[in-house]
Amino acid sequence: MSWHLTPAQAHEYADHRSDDVTAMSVEAHITGCAPCRALLPTDEEWLARSWADLRDVVDRPRRGAVETLLSSLGVRESTAKLLAATPGLYRAWLLATVAVLTAALLAAHHLPRGSLMFAFSAPIVPLAGVAMAYGRGVDPAHALTSVTPLAGQRLLFLRTCAVLIPALVLCTSAALLLPSTHTPWSAALWLLPALTLVTVSLMLSRWMHLGMASAAVGLLWLVALTALGVFENTTPLQLIAPQTQMWWAAALAAFLTTLLWRVRTA
Amino acid sequence: MKLFRRARRRAPDYGPDSTDAVLLAAVATGRTRALEILHHRHAPWLRTRLRYRCSDTDQVDAALQETFLAVWRNAGSFTPRPGDTDAGAWLWTIAIRQLISQLRKRTNQWIAGGDTDYEVIGDASAEDTVLLNIEHGPLGAALHSLSPELRSAIQATVLDGLTVREAAQILQIPEGTVKTRVMRAKARLREALT
Amino acid sequence: MNTTTTTAPVHVRGLVRRYGTRAALDGVDLDLWPGVTGLLGRNGAGKTTLLRCLATDLEPTDGAIRVLGHDPERTSERTRIRGRLGYLPQNPEFYPHFTAFGLLDYMAVLKELGGRRTRHDEARRGLERVGLTDRRHSRVHRLSGGMRQRLALAAAMLGDPDVLLLDEPTIGLDPEQRIRFRGLVSELAVHSTVVLSTHQIEDVAALCRRVVCLDAGRVIFHGTPEELVDRARGHVWEYDRHPGRGHTAWRLADGRYRVLVPTVTREKAPSSTEPARKPVEPTLEDAYLLLTGTR
Repeated sequence: MSWHLTPAQAHEYADHRSDDVTAMSVEAHITGCAPCRALLPTDEEWLARSWADLRDVVDRPRRGAVETLLSSLGVRESTAKLLAATPGLYRAWLLATVAVLTAALLAAHHLPRGSLMFAFSAPIVPLAGVAMAYGRGVDPAHALTSVTPLAGQRLLFLRTCAVLIPALVLCTSAALLLPSTHTPWSAALWLLPALTLVTVSLMLSRWMHLGMASAAVGLLWLVALTALGVFENTTPLQLIAPQTQMWWAAALAAFLTTLLWRVRTA
Repeated sequence: MKLFRRARRRAPDYGPDSTDAVLLAAVATGRTRALEILHHRHAPWLRTRLRYRCSDTDQVDAALQETFLAVWRNAGSFTPRPGDTDAGAWLWTIAIRQLISQLRKRTNQWIAGGDTDYEVIGDASAEDTVLLNIEHGPLGAALHSLSPELRSAIQATVLDGLTVREAAQILQIPEGTVKTRVMRAKARLREALT
Repeated sequence: MNTTTTTAPVHVRGLVRRYGTRAALDGVDLDLWPGVTGLLGRNGAGKTTLLRCLATDLEPTDGAIRVLGHDPERTSERTRIRGRLGYLPQNPEFYPHFTAFGLLDYMAVLKELGGRRTRHDEARRGLERVGLTDRRHSRVHRLSGGMRQRLALAAAMLGDPDVLLLDEPTIGLDPEQRIRFRGLVSELAVHSTVVLSTHQIEDVAALCRRVVCLDAGRVIFHGTPEELVDRARGHVWEYDRHPGRGHTAWRLADGRYRVLVPTVTREKAPSSTEPARKPVEPTLEDAYLLLTGTR
């Protein structure tokens, strides 16, 4: 190369003071000449900002499949992150749910009075999931996360949603496969009891560990079913019969109102 | 297969003084630090030069951002010429094209979009070598004597290496006009040089 | 605003916390101001319980706590405290499948630090602070114990909290990392109130302007490290041979014995029955041992 830029030329070019021909000449030269490029003044502040912007695109935490799926469904980015971050037990619960429901279906198809098993287990499934999604003992990062502003009721409700949605989908599909199902309506009979049980356990979690609350509520449910099964003139299916749905709806509404009112005023 | 992939993922040793070629090889294996060094080295002059093509700083900065993103994604496609590890020309090619697509985004109501076909007028590389010395040769005087319109046509096609369509977009004139201006400018230059 | 100027950022009165019938905290009064306060005490003295109460993780059985002027027993105020609080629990655990960057990003969501860009910038700053930038995309279960500890520290320091509670933060850190940790904490402590529970007396000596000693759920000392050392003056001796049973003593490298004497004894002429001895300048560690040992 026969010539190089003088510092003055470099500054004139950078300040837009070069005439067209000089600018063309400078440009033709700096395209291949690193030392002359380095002569051009740099706006360090801009450079740092520009790099920060660039880095934010090229270097970000990888997103898991669940998070990406939730985002594509229109869930807010930060909410998707919270919903996707579930403790390991959650996955175990999901597997257990599939196993229990499959067993219930098999029983319903092959055993006399086998559909009872579904009635017993369907409302317990979401309850167990909620118990395993939040709290000390089941959530390894609980100590770290429990004292953040979002922790407590808000995170608990988010986690409950993360449990309820797959639980409801799984239970509903299982219910549709039951031999006794004649109408979609009868496949949904377990829904209100399930939601009521979850709501009650969430309410109780104010005073006791969520796991304890869920266990107590679940136990109550099983006791009620067994009691109805023992007596001559009653059957456990009465608990989820169409006639009792009104009562379940009323209970759910009452508990849910109390719960939401609590959260609001808390 | 796994071994092969592993070997490909290994980044070369690099640092702030490494050549562009080494840094780009490291970027190709996903090293953000190498990209940072390249950005630090090249973003300032690219920005200065782009601002001669477009006065809107926001668009220039957006184009630069896209340029380095393209570098991040396509660093592996850089093939240095033997004995020359400088990526200046390669980066500029990306930058000016990103600026054009940036401008097109802004004004796509009246400029037809579509992919560029890489149709280059004349033998750009031969003319580039001449242009390197314009200040000192008779070409400098000849360029001085050109009208601004003809000069900018030469600048876009020869100096920036753009296609006629791209030149038309950045100069915001029809493609036919670019062609005639380039032809007229080249005729004038040839006249002045002989 | 007046309350923040008149009340200490961390204000504790008559704090009692019982587990069943056992009182882990038994009437603690404290006022802590910006700067690092060292929290010393034997295992089971109530350090972790105190930190958990301050961190709004545990509700006190009795007494009052005000953190940054807010009452953690009221939910709305508790949320406000949590927004300006950093807490590093003892033996922190994570979701193992998270990456280091992902974990800090997740914590930043929980801390409501802002939009994606703000969170990512904050997470990067956190990784940079604790020297984990190169491992940012490693999954947590692939990090060493020291690295996880540093990650937890970065998580606690996200968003530059006004109150930072650290429970045994230097466990698993090598000496260099500990120096770096001290730098980080002292930087933040210019404006923030930092409480550092530890068994590492050197960390306290290097970092803390105030020391609080807990024993059986009570504050047995609250003052500057110098005051604590002053208390030990006249209690620390070097003997030629072992002073005999009933003394806290250990053998030094040169064969002499360092002896902590709970009651002040005057220098006197050595008799034939007593070993030769001379008084020595106490360290913070001597002072701490004397304080907890005399109880």
